[in-house]
Amino acid sequence: MSRNKYMKAPSRKSMIILIVCIITGFIIGFSYNLTKDNKKITSPSVSQEETYREDLIRQQERNKELSEELNELQQTIRDFEKTFASNKDEFEILQQEAEKLRLMLGEIPAVGQGIRITLNDAEYNPNNSNPNDYIVHDSHIFKVVNELKISGAEAISINGHRLKSNSYINCTGPVITIDGSQYPAPFVVEAVGNPEVLISSLQIVGGVFDQLINDQIVVTIEKKGQITMPSVNETQS
Amino acid sequence: MWLPFLGLILGLALGLLTDIQIPSMYENYLSIAVLAALDTLFGGIRAYLQQVYDDKVFISGFFFNIVLAAGLAFLGVHLGVDLYLAAIFAFGVRLFQNIAVIRRILIQKWDERHIKKSEKTIE
Repeated sequence: MSRNKYMKAPSRKSMIILIVCIITGFIIGFSYNLTKDNKKITSPSVSQEETYREDLIRQQERNKELSEELNELQQTIRDFEKTFASNKDEFEILQQEAEKLRLMLGEIPAVGQGIRITLNDAEYNPNNSNPNDYIVHDSHIFKVVNELKISGAEAISINGHRLKSNSYINCTGPVITIDGSQYPAPFVVEAVGNPEVLISSLQIVGGVFDQLINDQIVVTIEKKGQITMPSVNETQS
Repeated sequence: MWLPFLGLILGLALGLLTDIQIPSMYENYLSIAVLAALDTLFGGIRAYLQQVYDDKVFISGFFFNIVLAAGLAFLGVHLGVDLYLAAIFAFGVRLFQNIAVIRRILIQKWDERHIKKSEKTIE
């Protein structure tokens, strides 16, 4: 009987139960899904944030490292450049020095502005019995040469004979022996260098010029725009 | 008899398949709704087993409980008091009570059947 009744009214009762069950199931399922999604969303977002932060930190550290490396490299480059520049400077200086030294040694021909000093014996003076008083001595040449050297003459030649660093000048009677070669008066001393400096240093009051004049030597100083001096070897050969 | 389970499974499938996103602030409502639905369901089962089941009570209780719980949670959110905890507590207690009653009834029924069976075998 009850069975019959149950069977008779399945639609209403069952439908209500079905609807409620469906709704309950839906709510549960939806909740489960949502929680799962939320977990999936929140946890990845959190972990993403974490990873992003870590990435950021890593990148910053990398940047720091790179900037340090860059600084180091720049420093290295600067040092390099500095050393290079100094090397260059040194090299230039050395080259100039070497050139100067070569000029002094007379190993290369000297070309440039300069002066020519002509030392000549005074005119024969019958009043003066001693001819030593009016001829050019080696000391005069020495003075001139030394003064020229001090004044920065790059190359000096006497009567076309290029002076070396170890040249010697001797007085041998009326002539002067330079490096074994004898040269008579007049002595033409040529010097390559700044003419103004050389002349002014020679003509300083109480200087070489005055002393030479005192010794009654005929001295002429002339500025030369271009002096070409052969090298020592050429002269010797 | 299998209709409720069928409905439950269908609902679960629907719920799992739906991909609607709701703001996280409404998750409380959802949890309360779940509790309310379960409570009503078990209450219905208990009523059925106790033979005091009524459609109107069941259906009205189902929806009213859900609405009441949601309203309580809403009020709690707006008052700054976690009133949804009260709903959860109430529903939870009732859920356990209902399940306990169902369990007892089922045990009783099983015992009765067992006794009947044994009586039959004795006869």
